[in-house]
Amino acid sequence: MNMVTLYINGLKVSVEKGTTLLEAAQFLGFPIPTLCHMEGLSPYGACRLCVVEIGEGPKAKLVSSCTYPAEEGLKVRTASARVVKARKMVLELLLASCPQSKTIQDLASAHDIRQQRFRQEYEDCILCGLCVRMCEEQMMAKAIGFRGRGQNRSIGTPFDMTSDVCRQCGACMYICPACSLRCTYTEPEKAICGGCANLSPPCLEKEKFDDMMCYMEPCVACEIKKD
Amino acid sequence: MRKLSTVKEFRDFRHLIVSERKAQQDKPTLVISADTGGQASGVNDIIRLVKRYIVERSLQQRIALRITGCHGFCEMNPYILVEPGGHFYPKLKTEDVPRVVEAAVGGFVDEGLIYKEPREQKSYPCQGDVPFFKKQTRTIMGENQKLDPIRIINYIEQGGYAGAEKVLTNPDPEWIISEVQKSGLRGRGGAGFPTGKKWELARASGNGHEQKYIICNADEGDPGAYMDRAVLEGNPHAIIEGMLIAGIAIGATQGIIYVRGEYPLAIKHTLIALRQARDGGLLGKSILGTGIDFDIDIVRGAGAFVCGEETALIRSVEGLIGEPRQRPPYPIEKGLWGHPTCINNVETLANIHVIIDRGAEEYARVGVPGNTGTKIFSLVGKIKNTGLVEVPLGMKISEVVYDIGGGPVGKAKIKAVQTGGPSGGCIPASMFDLPIDYESLVKAGSMMGSGGMIVMDENTCMVDVARYFMNFLKDESCGKCFTCRKGTQRMFEILDDISKGQATMEDVDLLEELALVVKDTTMCGLGQTASNPVLSTLRYFRNEYERHIKDKRCDAFVCKELVGAPCQSACPLGTEAWRYVAHIARGEYEDAYRAIREPNPFPSVCARVCHHPCEERCRAGTSGGSAIAIRALKRFITDRFDPSVYKPERVAWGNGKSPRVAVIGSGPAGLTAAHHLSLKGCKVTVFEAESRPGGMLICAIPSYRLPRDVIEKEIDSLLDKNITLKCNTALGRDITVDGLFEDGYKAVFLALGAHKSRPLRLENEDVAGVYPSIEFLKAFNMRGEQLARGRVGVIGGGNSAVDAARMALRQKDVDSVTILYRRTRDEMPAFAEEIEAADQEGIDIQTLVTPTKVITTKGRLSGLECVRNELGDVDSSGRRRPVPIKGTEHFIELDTLVVAISEDPEIDAISQARSGSIERTKYNTIQVDSTTLLTNRSGVFAGGDVVTGPNTVVEAIADGKKAALMIERYLRNEDLIRPSEPRLPRVYVEPVKTDEEGTQQGERAETPRAPAEWRKRNFAEVEVSFSVEEATREACRCLRCDLEFTKPKKVEAETEAKPAIVGKK
Repeated sequence: MNMVTLYINGLKVSVEKGTTLLEAAQFLGFPIPTLCHMEGLSPYGACRLCVVEIGEGPKAKLVSSCTYPAEEGLKVRTASARVVKARKMVLELLLASCPQSKTIQDLASAHDIRQQRFRQEYEDCILCGLCVRMCEEQMMAKAIGFRGRGQNRSIGTPFDMTSDVCRQCGACMYICPACSLRCTYTEPEKAICGGCANLSPPCLEKEKFDDMMCYMEPCVACEIKKD
Repeated sequence: MRKLSTVKEFRDFRHLIVSERKAQQDKPTLVISADTGGQASGVNDIIRLVKRYIVERSLQQRIALRITGCHGFCEMNPYILVEPGGHFYPKLKTEDVPRVVEAAVGGFVDEGLIYKEPREQKSYPCQGDVPFFKKQTRTIMGENQKLDPIRIINYIEQGGYAGAEKVLTNPDPEWIISEVQKSGLRGRGGAGFPTGKKWELARASGNGHEQKYIICNADEGDPGAYMDRAVLEGNPHAIIEGMLIAGIAIGATQGIIYVRGEYPLAIKHTLIALRQARDGGLLGKSILGTGIDFDIDIVRGAGAFVCGEETALIRSVEGLIGEPRQRPPYPIEKGLWGHPTCINNVETLANIHVIIDRGAEEYARVGVPGNTGTKIFSLVGKIKNTGLVEVPLGMKISEVVYDIGGGPVGKAKIKAVQTGGPSGGCIPASMFDLPIDYESLVKAGSMMGSGGMIVMDENTCMVDVARYFMNFLKDESCGKCFTCRKGTQRMFEILDDISKGQATMEDVDLLEELALVVKDTTMCGLGQTASNPVLSTLRYFRNEYERHIKDKRCDAFVCKELVGAPCQSACPLGTEAWRYVAHIARGEYEDAYRAIREPNPFPSVCARVCHHPCEERCRAGTSGGSAIAIRALKRFITDRFDPSVYKPERVAWGNGKSPRVAVIGSGPAGLTAAHHLSLKGCKVTVFEAESRPGGMLICAIPSYRLPRDVIEKEIDSLLDKNITLKCNTALGRDITVDGLFEDGYKAVFLALGAHKSRPLRLENEDVAGVYPSIEFLKAFNMRGEQLARGRVGVIGGGNSAVDAARMALRQKDVDSVTILYRRTRDEMPAFAEEIEAADQEGIDIQTLVTPTKVITTKGRLSGLECVRNELGDVDSSGRRRPVPIKGTEHFIELDTLVVAISEDPEIDAISQARSGSIERTKYNTIQVDSTTLLTNRSGVFAGGDVVTGPNTVVEAIADGKKAALMIERYLRNEDLIRPSEPRLPRVYVEPVKTDEEGTQQGERAETPRAPAEWRKRNFAEVEVSFSVEEATREACRCLRCDLEFTKPKKVEAETEAKPAIVGKK
């Protein structure tokens, strides 16, 4: 068994070769927020929330801990001032784009963020890629993927054509941090901002799911659409 | 070239070719660059005509033709270079072709077409002497000149594949790698990683039997960078040879050239070169029988800047979406399809055959330790000689910009240089002494990058530059990392808001914070360097950001929502020049006069002597035509109306008794302040030291420019019952500031002007016959004394020098007038029109001359000893300083000398006045807060020349207006500073219907002047007014930049809704 020894927040830890910094830190119990990471799926490194500081002196830099493999002798800090500042800005940016997601709201309040200073947008997808990886790696269907670049980046089937490999398993909806766990469940009166009510869920061909047993937590948009 | 099967065969073949080439009679050769730039400039026609001419006149035996890639001097496309003489014929037209061919055949130089420096008119017959080429070290670009890229024989003739031969004869990977390491070559793609080290790691990686790849990164995405294109188009075999050597060194059998799809000519030439190399046996299986396999494929990019990043590039080659991934593991360990992959830039690989052929030590002699070799830069932007320049690393930026680049293209000074493309930063002109090497640039906040060098001048808005790059990066971000995708988008949003005047200072802080986080957290180079344009412009040009946000001004006149109509924006008074020009076009002269008079109490004065910053910014002029003659049009209107017809709006003071304000000085600043304060209901007393009001308008500006009755009428119209004028009352001698407050004045405005001529500080300057310019001008203007006699000399180059010269010419008993200026004509600060008029009147203007001694005879001036100057180094202001040339001392005989080098305020008067010490600046002007015009003493304001030093009339009027506003707020106990608004056109004036072609393209109307021979003998007004036809025609030339902001939506919809009528009538 090939072991690697490294130092996280000053604590010495030995892990198997190939372990990521995130796994090592979680093993020791250090909290690192994540959004696009899910155990069982390959790491992607898109959300940048899990960044940690490695190295020392002027060469110290931030890397996403979910993708960085443990190296011998590496010095890691999971909550240095630089890391915290970066996380807060990332969360501000997330709130500025996708404020109705309960996951994001909880993360923001846990980091003492009360406001965001950018122009408010209401997007329903943060392009974390969990649904893509879920479909490919766990459900073995590979029905959806990324298209486009930059502002035009989106997730969907090739050329938006009806997929013949999609089995309507709903795993993509289950795992999405933006649309699931919206803040209000089924009670429109309890809606905090009502933003989710005006969005169309990113699930494809929602009509097909109406008859099936949806094992997701129901959300306001779903309820309103039913009427 | 037939296929060769052993190394020995190749060696013999190569030596044969090289020696044949050397033995060949050097018949004259026409070398023509047909790269993408050349073809875009029309070189294909030139080539066609050259070929036809040669065939028609059967000159094939006497002259050769070589079509090559880019030589570097792209500004001069299309051009022909004649070898062996190195005669460079730039910017040719098709009709010039026969002359060039004949000159080449005949062995002489065609003087009319040969390259000349524009200003000096000096011709440079030899290419090596041309300043653009002289300081370059064209190791790589020089090769382009010598060969036709689609002829492998040309490449071999010039020594090509000699390095490959060496390596194939005795394949020793360790030796190759150690040579490359010894040479000090660093990656030319941008990061500067030592190439030798990269190859060493690539060689060591893998398990020995693994497939390895070498990739040439030709996805040159930086806007404005085209070095790699020039190398691939002009010398593709250099890359093939470099990759072959690299393959042998690291153990790769497959090479890939990843070239962006937007380079069709480069792809075409590379494919031809690959085919020729394969056909010759230099690529493929068991090259020249050595058992070494190596071949190269081309993969085309599909238009994504991010695919220049190595991990994204690899994914693109694999056929996947171009997204970077985190490193480690680096491509050296795990690259293309999981195999070890070494990625090098085009320029890096182009250097390899030079190193292997000439030897590492020879190579390392160029450049500086740690930064050896040359680098090709694409020098573009606001510079005279744009093109590709190849210089040794370590050369200073100033040398590249001024010596090779030729300096600024117009009058605007160079402000900054942007290196490294969208990943780089801006380096201000004050740091141009920096050497160009990897570390220095990073320390300054920029980076070398792929070699783009964009030169920026005063007409470049740095906020707009940051916005431009951020727009590019936002579109090119792959979108995987949340911080890069959203970060670039949000940074762009903030920069866009700033350029529109809709941001606050907190937004700048947010921008900086966001930029730092984006830099820290993103995964790949694009995101990590995306913040550089923002951070470097904030570091060095923060004042521009503040101007945009606080003052809502864009000083480079770029950001449209802040500029509005440039003429209005440029005027210190905010006069709506577009409005009165529009009214003149419509024949509405009263409305025009109102538009002129409302912001400006001295319209007739300005119509004659204003320096018209509006015309400098007029879009008709800056877009390639000639500016509208706005000042002359103003004169046309003011001539038609008496100042008394305009009745400005008056208000009563309001609460309580009208306050009393004292204004010291009755020049344009003082009288404007008095007038506006009177309109607001104050009681103003104006104190004037001279016997008559008017300041410099009366004392200094001669009557042939500004007739006395015109000023008197204008001043009379401003004096009303709220204003009391007290002449012959001087500050210090008759009144003091303390005294004024004791007398009951509530506020004081100091507008004394700058009336003390600056002395030359030469011995004997005070003898008879030598006069300071203000004294000379005042003597005539105020008392009618004519002090000039015989041969008159005037020292200086500003307006008071030209005024003194033209005044002297008109005085009796004057034989000649000469102006002596220490710099060149282009740098004379006087108005161009004044200099032109002086020329017409026969005044001799001598430039580059400085006086050294005043010579006297019997206590009176007899002459001046002078020395000639040359222009030396560029100083930090961007101008060349005059340096005296030893041994050029000469004597000029003079009877009168007027010293007009500058003026200073007579500020001692204030300190004599026991005025509780009003603070002064180190230039001996009064220190004020530039926003409020308040001095350090409460209630005392100052403006005009006494604050700025000698300045223009309209700036003084603007100060007077501002002072009145500030004094009013002060007297009412209100905040002096209020948030600013951009000055945009707000009133709609319907445009005159004109036909498109006729009026818009017309020439600018000439300033009508009295004939020179007649006017130089008298003091009658030189300039006359336009006729109605001339004025209307000139006014119709206006492009109406204001309509964009004022055109009502309904009108817009109506004019656009008319559909085109198609079909039968």
